[in-house]
Amino acid sequence: MKARNVALVMKKDLRGLGRERTIVLAILLQLFVALFSSFLMVGLTSMYDPSSLARFSGVKYPVAYVGEPSDLDELLKKSGQFRVYPMDLSTAVAALGERKLSAVIHVPPTQKDADDPVKITLYSIQNDIQSTIVNVKLKDVFLDYEEELRRVRSERLDLIPVPLEFPESRSGPGFYEFIYGLLIPLLLFMPAVISAALIIDLITEEYQHHTLETLLSTPMTMAEVVWGKITACILIVPLQAGSWLLLLTLNRIPIAHIPQILAQVLSFSLVLVLIGALTALYYRERTAAQFIFSTAVVVLMLIVLAFPHNPLNLIALLATGSPVPKQWSILGGTLILCGLLGILTQLYSEKVSTRAPGE
Amino acid sequence: MNFLQFLSRIGTLARWEVKRAFGVMGKGMLPMAVVLFVLLVAATGFAAERGLHLQDGIYRLGVDDRVVGEIFSGDERFSITTGDGRDLFRERAAYDIIIIGGQVYVQDTERGRSALKSLQRDYQQYLDSLYSLQQDLFAAYPLWIDLQEVKSELDFSATQSGMQISVAPSSTAPPVPERPVVEIPVPEPGVAFSTEELRQGLIESSVPQSQLARYSDLVGPESPFGSFKTPSQLSPPLPFDSIILVFLFIFPLYFMSQFSMMSIMQERLERKGEVLLSTPAGAPAIIVGKALPYFIGMLAISAGIALWLSAPLIILLPLLPVILFFLANALIIGMVARSFKELSFISIFFSTVATSYLFFPSIFANVHVISLVSPLTLIVLSLQGETYTISQYFFSTSLFFLTSAVLFYVGMANFREERLFSQAGIFCRVREFISTSLSSRHPWASLFIVNALVVPFVFMVQMLLLVLFFNLPMPLSLVLLIISAALVEEIAKSVGICTFLLDTPSRWSWVMVGIGSAVTAAAFLFAEKLLLLITLTQVTESVFGSILFLSSGVLVFPFLLHFTGVLCVAGLVRHWGAKGYIPGIMIATLVHCLYNGYFILGWLS
Repeated sequence: MKARNVALVMKKDLRGLGRERTIVLAILLQLFVALFSSFLMVGLTSMYDPSSLARFSGVKYPVAYVGEPSDLDELLKKSGQFRVYPMDLSTAVAALGERKLSAVIHVPPTQKDADDPVKITLYSIQNDIQSTIVNVKLKDVFLDYEEELRRVRSERLDLIPVPLEFPESRSGPGFYEFIYGLLIPLLLFMPAVISAALIIDLITEEYQHHTLETLLSTPMTMAEVVWGKITACILIVPLQAGSWLLLLTLNRIPIAHIPQILAQVLSFSLVLVLIGALTALYYRERTAAQFIFSTAVVVLMLIVLAFPHNPLNLIALLATGSPVPKQWSILGGTLILCGLLGILTQLYSEKVSTRAPGE
Repeated sequence: MNFLQFLSRIGTLARWEVKRAFGVMGKGMLPMAVVLFVLLVAATGFAAERGLHLQDGIYRLGVDDRVVGEIFSGDERFSITTGDGRDLFRERAAYDIIIIGGQVYVQDTERGRSALKSLQRDYQQYLDSLYSLQQDLFAAYPLWIDLQEVKSELDFSATQSGMQISVAPSSTAPPVPERPVVEIPVPEPGVAFSTEELRQGLIESSVPQSQLARYSDLVGPESPFGSFKTPSQLSPPLPFDSIILVFLFIFPLYFMSQFSMMSIMQERLERKGEVLLSTPAGAPAIIVGKALPYFIGMLAISAGIALWLSAPLIILLPLLPVILFFLANALIIGMVARSFKELSFISIFFSTVATSYLFFPSIFANVHVISLVSPLTLIVLSLQGETYTISQYFFSTSLFFLTSAVLFYVGMANFREERLFSQAGIFCRVREFISTSLSSRHPWASLFIVNALVVPFVFMVQMLLLVLFFNLPMPLSLVLLIISAALVEEIAKSVGICTFLLDTPSRWSWVMVGIGSAVTAAAFLFAEKLLLLITLTQVTESVFGSILFLSSGVLVFPFLLHFTGVLCVAGLVRHWGAKGYIPGIMIATLVHCLYNGYFILGWLS
């Protein structure tokens, strides 16, 4: 196998990619995914913690308190989030329907230490985003009240939990786990999938456009052509993954261990690309090859993810800057797999016919 | 050609297509596909059993008591070290959280805070699991909430159109309802369930939450007792199971549309389709015939899944427009792509965007009506056993029907030799496609029609933006929405007239440019109003809607706005050619934003 021939095929395919400029779509896609999902998360958090929205801070939601007086009344007032009106039930519910109140709370005459539970009836507006926020705020008050009732009834408990004392929670944005534990591993997995889809396209295209015969009439061998294409597909992986990491860093999301992460990404990209190449060489027809390959990837992914210390888990850990003692053995394992698949690809491509099936 | 003949041609073509598709699959693919399908089911079960290990060991926890460590040992996110309290304290830098003598200490870093949040949630889960086993259940769960939902008599969007839930201006007196008060029975103090029923339900609902719920506190565990909840179940439930089920429906549709896409592409390989074009069948019959087997296949698979899940077959109704939309896009993508790689890139791009449009809104199915933007929400509702109205069906599906129809039309108009076998770049080809759909003999009529037909697409993109920005804090979401909505509209309006200007620049005098802009503006306005009238009244009432579809009664101002926007772009393109397009769009967007900003701000204050 001549390196020069491999390089020639590689250059030809990279030029083709550059000319079509559709690779831009792949990068746009990653941008879109990140944008959409992080927007969603920011949104969910800000809905949960409405004080982060300037517009809602300082707003006191009017609620009606109906029924027996209790400590709940006091808790509601103390939370500073609500303006509490004592009212009668029917008037209050009618006012709620006209959105003059944001919730109505009915408290029964059940004693604090009664055998029965205290059943509070909460009336709220159906299908409304703001009443969702109000309910989440009310939930905090109810949880406090539940705590107090539990304290009163604590002697009746027979299983005592291990007590833990938590520090005052500093409310931070809750994106950490989302960004490092989900977004980064998945985004870095994308280039691998894209490259694997690409190798199938590149190989089946030569068959289905009947350009393979022309290519092989030069002093090139089939194995050289295949390896050239594999090289082209692998070369664009660090390009995509690297630009991602750079974008995230610019976005003030620090990423540790970038070289190690790239090594992991490259190794499992190579596995996927080699599997893709083998599938394409076997079917020599795009529809079949892509279908079989993508189903196989889903199966493979599910199985790999079901084990701890899988490459995506490693990427998450590396990105957070944790020490990962197992990374080199995992990398070694992936590389051995690559070697085996590589030998298989070499042997198979020497043997495979130049004809598309059915011709 | 009469209608029966047309039908029989479609039938022939469809049969031929089925034969061709199975010919491709026959070669060793079907047995392999069956094997993979079995493996897929097995792997899904395996992964569901073991859980997905994506975030294992992301936090480091040090405890001085093995009993405390065991509470959190079920959560793989924590790598737990048990050691002596003093040692732990000395090496505290190596941990995100240390627990010494029942006191939790946290690193003041982002990771530390995030770890604390997870730790607290886990501890709560531990408490819940312990409480539900107590002899005296009502000592552990002394408080129950019965959530009664009241239908608002104002429409739901009132809160978004600038109104607070209630504006109780500095009053200390309780609000007085304006309408007559209906007598409401006082709720019974007792609990309608037996203690054992409640215990069973609590144990069931305290199973570890889905991984999706980890990222949000807004959605919580679902109460098994309907409206009857403990305080921690008060958040609206995430329809997680239904969303997974919906994915089950959509997944096969992706594959089928891939096959259909590839079948169109096959015709273009080495001009194979020339044979087909030379038959008397004609483009519409060819396209319908080629799409029909996939359409039937998709419906059959969906029906099969529905039967398997023993879900009502009525959920096929919201799937119908989605299937058509996928097929229409498959047609266009198959016709536009120049090579296999391009086909892959475009189809991956399309399916991701479509997935976002379809799935993200349905997460909010139990929270807000905005989720109805996606037809999948209707499926989620049906799976939850709720019903939807005809107007809701129209609201969420009409855009899919309309855009599919337009795409099919464009496909048919362009299904001929010089388009199918051209190798021009993608933007150029899209322009060619539009220019074929325009008639140079009737420029005004075709401009009008193109601009009217482009409106459903604009709405669709704007709906996506609405869902995207809806979640952001208020001022930011408004600003982003104003800018992006203006940009989308200006690009859409410029498509028709700029295609004309770039195709035949010599024919277009400055007067014609002016008239063209006027026609474009009129068509856009006309279609916008028409579509609003039919479908979107629900969203247009809100403050977001008013940016997207700003109208406010008078027609003169919106017309002038559209006219000015188009004129900016068309004028620059007429003057500088293609180079003028981007500056033109920028200027038009700026004008549009200023206008919207002025009206919205004026209206709000």
